Amino acid sequence: MVQERRILYEHLDVPDINTFDVFRQYDGYKRFEKAIKEYQPDDICDMVMKSGLKGRGGAGFSTGLKWSFVPRDIEPRYLCCNADESEPGTFSNRYVLERNPHLLIEGILICCYAMGISTAYVYIRGEFTLGKRMLDAAIEEAYQQGYLGKDILGSGFDLDIYSHPGAGAYICGEETGLIESLEGKRGQPRVKPPFPAVEGLFHKPTVVQNVETLCNLPFLMGNGVEWYTDIGRTYGDTRFDPPQSDPNTGTKLYCISGDVNKPGVYELDLGLTAEELIEVAGGVRGERVKAVIPGGSSAPILTHYELECRLDFTSLTLWKSMLGSGGIIVMNETRNIVDCLLNIMKFYAHESCGQCTPCRWGTPWVRDIVQRIADGEGRQTTMQRPKFGVAEGGRWGDTGEMEEVYEDLDLLESVANNIANVDTMTWNTICVFGIAVSWPAVSYLRKFRPEFEAAIREGKLVTLSVEEATVPPEENYAYQQRIVPSLFEAPT
Amino acid sequence: MSNELIQIETPFQFSEENQQEFERLIQRYPVKEAAMLPTLHLAQKQAGYISPAVMEHVAELLELPVMKVKDVVTFYPMFFEEPVGKYVIRVCYTLPCALRDCKLVLEHIKQKFDIDVASETDLAKGTTPDEKFTLLKSECLASCDVAPVVMVNDDLYKNLTPEKMDEILDGLE
Ligand SMILES: Cc1cc2nc3c(=O)[nH]c(=O)nc-3n(C[C@H](O)[C@H](O)[C@H](O)COP(=O)(O)O)c2cc1C
Ligand code: SF4
Ligand code: FES
Repeated sequence: MVQERRILYEHLDVPDINTFDVFRQYDGYKRFEKAIKEYQPDDICDMVMKSGLKGRGGAGFSTGLKWSFVPRDIEPRYLCCNADESEPGTFSNRYVLERNPHLLIEGILICCYAMGISTAYVYIRGEFTLGKRMLDAAIEEAYQQGYLGKDILGSGFDLDIYSHPGAGAYICGEETGLIESLEGKRGQPRVKPPFPAVEGLFHKPTVVQNVETLCNLPFLMGNGVEWYTDIGRTYGDTRFDPPQSDPNTGTKLYCISGDVNKPGVYELDLGLTAEELIEVAGGVRGERVKAVIPGGSSAPILTHYELECRLDFTSLTLWKSMLGSGGIIVMNETRNIVDCLLNIMKFYAHESCGQCTPCRWGTPWVRDIVQRIADGEGRQTTMQRPKFGVAEGGRWGDTGEMEEVYEDLDLLESVANNIANVDTMTWNTICVFGIAVSWPAVSYLRKFRPEFEAAIREGKLVTLSVEEATVPPEENYAYQQRIVPSLFEAPT
Repeated sequence: MSNELIQIETPFQFSEENQQEFERLIQRYPVKEAAMLPTLHLAQKQAGYISPAVMEHVAELLELPVMKVKDVVTFYPMFFEEPVGKYVIRVCYTLPCALRDCKLVLEHIKQKFDIDVASETDLAKGTTPDEKFTLLKSECLASCDVAPVVMVNDDLYKNLTPEKMDEILDGLE
C-alpha cells in the first residue's frame, strides 16, 4: 500500500505546536532565518521556479512563474493568502490554521522576503472562527518574538500580517473576487487581464497564494530543491504519464470524503492513482465505487473505469478533469448520480455572484432542469428528426424515423455548454466559476447518461447498478481522449 | 401596524471596547473601505443583526455612502438584515455531508422546534417563536471528513446523529 509522507502535516498532532516555543523546537522559523541570512530574494524565487511547485488552491499554476510576473519596480506589493477554503470536499487548510498556524506564518515570511512584500493579508473564510483565533494568536506571538514587524531579526526586512474575515461567499475564493472582497466590496471577480500579479489589491501588484502552497515553502527552503523535486511518484510504469517537462513535485494534502471507511486528510506524494488513494482511506464504504470526484465539486467526475487515473495536475488534465483543490469525494453503488448533481447544482446556483448573465441565469436554469428530472418530470418527446441533405440520403422535407428524444438532457447540456463550453474550454463568463458549473453538469450527464434517461423514462429517480449506470469506456468522451490514440487499448 | 412604520430606530453606536477594536482594524488598510467586512462582523456581534441604523453608523465610520454598505451586506450570506435567534444553527447540506445523512439531522431539528429552514429573505420562518434558535442550511463547512457537521454560532459539531444533535441543543442555555 502507498505510504503517507507527512511533511506539511508532520507535526500537526504535536501538543501545543500552535505556540511559538513548541513550534520553535521543531525547526520553527529556522528555515526563514536560513532564507534571510543565506539567500538573496532572487535566489529564492529561482528555487521556487526550479522546484516545480504548483499552486494547491485550484488552478495548479506554477508558483515560480506567477512570481516572475510581478513587476519589482512598483511599490507597495501585496500578498493575499487564500484561506477561503470553500470548495466542497476540501478541508486541509482548516487543520493548518487551527493546529499549526506558525507554519503558515513562516511560509508567508519566506514568500514576502523573496518578493519584497511588506504587507500580507490572510483572507480567512468567515466560518473559520477557531482558525482565525488561532492564527491571530500566533501572529501576535510572532510580533512579540520579533519575527514580524519592523526590521525583522535586524535584517532590515519589514512585514505585517493581518487576518481578514470573509462572510460566507464561495466566490471570494476566486483570486480577484477575494481582492474585491478584501477591498470592502461585493466579492465579484474582475475581468482578467490585468492579472493580480500586475494589478491586484488596491491596484498594486499582488500575489494570491493558497495556504497549502505557502506551507510548502519552509520545507523547500530547509531541504533544498533537489530534495523537493525527488518527492512525487516516479513515473514510467503506465501509459498515462505526464510529460517529464512538467513534473508534479512535492506532496499533496489529499482530502477524501464521502463513501470511504476512513475519510480524512492524507499527505501523499503527488501522482498516486484514485484506486490507491481509496485504499489508503480504508477502502470504499459499501460494495464498490460508482463514481469519484477528483478535485472538489467543480471537477468533472470519474467513473469506476477511470480509477487508474493518477491524481496529479497534469494527468487529470489529460483525463479531461482536474486535481483542483484536491478534494476527493467517493460515491458507492447506492448513490444516484442525478441526485448528486442536483445537490451540487443547488450549491452553484446559490453561489453565483450574479455579474454575468450566462452564469446568473444559466446556473439556476441548470439546477431547475436537474430538479425537474429528479422530481420525475423530465421532458421527453417522440419526434421525427428532419433529414436534410444528400449526405443523409434524403431530400429537403424528408423526415426520418420516429425517435425517442430526451429533450431535457439535450437542453441541460446545451445550457451548461453555453455558460462555458467544456469541449473547447472557452467560457462566456468573467471568471471560471462558469466552468465549475458546466464541468460537473456535462460530465455527470455524459458519463452516467443511462441514469438520467432512466429517471426521465420512469418518472422517478432510479438508481441503476454500477455497470448499467455508467457509459462504457468506448463511449466515454474523456476516456477516449486521455492518451495518444495510437497507444489506446481498451481495458481488459 | 402604522406605529411600526413610523417607528424611528434608535441610532447604533459601538461600545467602547468595540470602538477601540475598530480603531485598531482601520489601521491595517490603506483605504478605510477595506475595513468593511471586519467592521460589519464586529457590529453584528454587538447588535445581533445589521439594521439600517447599523449600516448608517458603519457608513459614517468608513466615510462611505450608506448604499455601499447595504450593497455589501446584501451580498454576503453571513450578514443578517433581520433579527435572528440567539443560536444560529447551520446544517451543512453539501454533497459530502449529504452522503453522510445530513438530511436526518436537518429534519430532526425542524421537527424538534417545529420550524422551517430559514432563507436569506425570510429568516422568521426558520426562527423559533422565543427567538432562541434560527435554523439555516449551509454550504460545505470544510469539515467533510467528519460529516455530517453543524455549526451553532461559532462552534462546530462533528459526526452528528439526531440523538447527538438533541444532546447539544438541549445543553444550550
Ligand atoms: C470559483 C472559484 C473558487 C475558488 N476557491 C478557492 C478557495 O477556496 N481557496 C483557494 O485557495 N483557491 C480558490 N480558488 C483558486 C484561486 O482563484 C487561485 O487560483 C488560488 O488562490 C491561487 O493560489 P495557488 O496558486 O497557491 O493555488 C478558486 C477559484 C475559483 C474560480
Ligand atoms: S461567472 Fe458567475 S461567479 Fe464568475 S463573475 Fe460571472 S456571475 Fe460571477
Ligand atoms: S460538505 Fe459538509 S463539511 Fe463539507
